[in-house]
Amino acid sequence: MASTPRHPKNPALYTNRAMARLKLGHWESVITDCQTCLGLAPQNMKAHYYLAQAQLSIGDFDSALTNALAAHKICATTNDKSLGAITNIVLRCKKDRWDDKEKKRLRQERELEEEMLAMLVRDRDDMLAAESDETERKIIEEEANEKMQTLSKVFENARTQSLKRREVPDWAIDDISFAIMVDPVVTKTGKSYERATIMEHLRRHPSDPLTREPLSIAELRPNLSLRQACSDFLEENGWAVDW
Amino acid sequence: MATGMRTKRVAKERQKIDKFGLPPGIELVEGNDLKEWLFDIRVLDNNPLYNDNVYRLKFVFSDSYPIEPPEVTFVDKPARPVPMHPHIYSNGIICLDLLGNQGWSPVQSAESICMSIQSMLTSNSKNERPPGDEEFVRVNRQRPRDIEFLYHDNTV
Repeated sequence: MASTPRHPKNPALYTNRAMARLKLGHWESVITDCQTCLGLAPQNMKAHYYLAQAQLSIGDFDSALTNALAAHKICATTNDKSLGAITNIVLRCKKDRWDDKEKKRLRQERELEEEMLAMLVRDRDDMLAAESDETERKIIEEEANEKMQTLSKVFENARTQSLKRREVPDWAIDDISFAIMVDPVVTKTGKSYERATIMEHLRRHPSDPLTREPLSIAELRPNLSLRQACSDFLEENGWAVDW
Repeated sequence: MATGMRTKRVAKERQKIDKFGLPPGIELVEGNDLKEWLFDIRVLDNNPLYNDNVYRLKFVFSDSYPIEPPEVTFVDKPARPVPMHPHIYSNGIICLDLLGNQGWSPVQSAESICMSIQSMLTSNSKNERPPGDEEFVRVNRQRPRDIEFLYHDNTV
């Protein structure tokens, strides 16, 4: 399979093979093909798109997101019909990256908890070893138990706190797909929608969804501050992708 | 690329209904699958045409929902008749611009459609079917949203 195409300068040969290899799950060779293609044609949307999927599969989340966003940018400027699929990949990258961070964070917290409990036990045992009076020994044990219980409670509370209040604010939601927005664009009415979904609507009906007044794709404007706000929200709340 | 949007969108509409409820006179009877829902609706004022009656609406969400409208019809059952209205055929097909490809907007929802149909009944005083009802019911084999209705009558 490590063959070089007969026309090694044609970028399409590499993306075509990358797509086939993507279906077979040969991630590493998809990555090589896409990188070769991008060396020949840096603005190749498909190469960025397949590369993002392969990198996502091997857990290289940062690179996957970078390539998904590159594909998205090309799609948005060329009015490409894959924008919906690309938007989903961007969201998937953000979600998986967050999941991964969250897993690490939880593991660290659990390790910290165990370490601190072990310290309390050691402290108690040291004190018990130095004390022979029965009443004093009992007090030492009770105090140690109380501390350990408090410690566990504090950690438990922190864990449940992060699961609570899982609600996406309305401003971050696209009123067509009801999903959190990646690239909001604003219409003449001042209302913002996800670029991919409003484009899908406008391709069939060039009208504003709220007022039904004529609206063309060229009249849409990016809503940069909302885009940043949604991106910041997702950074901290990756679960929102599947909400 | 509209496929995939439907599942999430319908699931979220369902969550909203569970959380905030529905307006008076509208009730979700079956909404567990993400393709087909049933609502019961009643007319709330004392319109003598619809007093005490409950009507059943069937929603079918295609994969292109909400870019395309859902298919909404009245179900004809013994305890759930098709309401008498000059824009509702006796086989349950509803002539409402909101449900056609031209009048539809993706920011509408199952709930907002129910409300529109409810108010369409509330404001009606004519005890009649659309002109040509018998013929239409006999020959029509088209899906409701493909029918080219002429939305000429804005009085009811």
